[in-house]
Amino acid sequence: MKQLGAILGEMSGAVAIFSKDLYSELRTRYALNSLIMFVVVTLAIILFSTAGETVTPSLSAGILWIIVFFAAMSGLSRSFVSEEERGTTMTLQLWVEPSSVLIGKLLFNSLLIYVLNAMIILAYMLTMPAFVVKSPLIFLITVLMGTFGLSTASTFIAAIISKANSKGTLYPVLSFPILLPLLMSVIDATRLSVEGATFGEAAGDFKILLSYCVVVTTVSIILFDFVWRD
Amino acid sequence: MKNWMKIAIGLWIAAVLAVGISMPIGYIPGLGAKARIIYFHVPMSWLAVLAFFMSMWYGIMYLRKKDMKHDIKSASAAELGFAFSILATLTGSIWARFSWGSFWNWDPRETSIFVLLLIYGAYFSLRSALEVEERRATLSAVYSIVAFVTVPFFVFIMPRMMTGLHPGEGSPAPILNANGKMYMEASMRYVFYASLIGFTFLYIWLFNLRSRIGLLSYNNHTEID
Amino acid sequence: MGSLYNFLNTHSLYIVLIIVLVIWLGIFIYLYRLDKKVNELYEQHESEKENMK
Repeated sequence: MKQLGAILGEMSGAVAIFSKDLYSELRTRYALNSLIMFVVVTLAIILFSTAGETVTPSLSAGILWIIVFFAAMSGLSRSFVSEEERGTTMTLQLWVEPSSVLIGKLLFNSLLIYVLNAMIILAYMLTMPAFVVKSPLIFLITVLMGTFGLSTASTFIAAIISKANSKGTLYPVLSFPILLPLLMSVIDATRLSVEGATFGEAAGDFKILLSYCVVVTTVSIILFDFVWRD
Repeated sequence: MKNWMKIAIGLWIAAVLAVGISMPIGYIPGLGAKARIIYFHVPMSWLAVLAFFMSMWYGIMYLRKKDMKHDIKSASAAELGFAFSILATLTGSIWARFSWGSFWNWDPRETSIFVLLLIYGAYFSLRSALEVEERRATLSAVYSIVAFVTVPFFVFIMPRMMTGLHPGEGSPAPILNANGKMYMEASMRYVFYASLIGFTFLYIWLFNLRSRIGLLSYNNHTEID
Repeated sequence: MGSLYNFLNTHSLYIVLIIVLVIWLGIFIYLYRLDKKVNELYEQHESEKENMK
């Protein structure tokens, strides 16, 4: 019973953090507005530079994840950096359990990046003629799992970054090696889905993706205490 | 480390160099005398991975004990690992120029050493961006643990899943087979193991030296403060 | 001397070997001396600590 109570308390803390972030985001629309503009700009550059060229399907799969990666890199660091900038870290440390902070921030970041990725993929499908998904099931699973892995790893790195100097440049530098296994398998699975592969062919990538998500989530929950209480 | 051990390491590695370079090797299809790189390139990459592991290990020790000694050791291991992975990359790259035709081919193992270099680079940039010592120690330890649990995807699983260009990975397997079986002549194998042992001891010595220097400078500036 | 020159001319591998050994000797001597200096500094440090007490 006691344990159940602790878990419930943790969850309510997480939900409180999540809704705090959501309300402040809905009030200012700071992250979403700038991220949408970022995506529009990036997409425009890619379309300009590929105008008149034939983009192969496998290349278009890679370009999609480049946009997703850099959009995540420019948007997700705010979750912890803003607490540090506003000086509200101490308050959170006093009132909420570390794990609820992580889960709350993770929920908010996941929501943000799921919404963002949906928009990116929609815009990308409309503007990139070479990108036609022939195996929707593979693509759907790839996007769902890949986005979750992306948001977990980058939320955790954001927590590390928020304590350092020169946060903006450090963020992609630290995240890229950690995210590379994820990105490679996600790009490969997307390429397969564009080429119209069967589910069995993509199973290897899904295994890597799934184990990556599990490992990163576990490690970040275990290690978050050290980062947060420091 | 005793004095005679250092001299023994020096002589041992000199002997490995002499034998490795001058000993005639049997006929190896497609490689010939270029196969000698295995005596030097493979120990370098092994040390790069070993140092990476030790860096994580001392990171965990720091998080448990909160003793700056462990942080200094973790950083020393990472520095040495960075040096060795650069050496492995350079030797491999020069070798690849003459065996595969270009300096870089994005073979799975090349990708994994590249990721290793990136991680070391990120680790050092994180360390230099943190000024408070305890915070630097904690966060870099956390980062090295996270990197260590995600990177084996690359270093150990991915190269096994794809066939690459490295000797032993294609269908004609001259030296190392995909399932880890060695097709090396006995004499070559002895030199290779001798080289592995020699370089591992050299690493231990270097690590010892580097971490003692680190400790000295740490003690020095904390006493002045 | 001429025979040695001829020998090295035909066996260029040994030139590589000599260069590599010389480089290793240099690295080794550097490390050995560095190790010695660090040891001395450590002893100095220890004796300073004794004096402080």
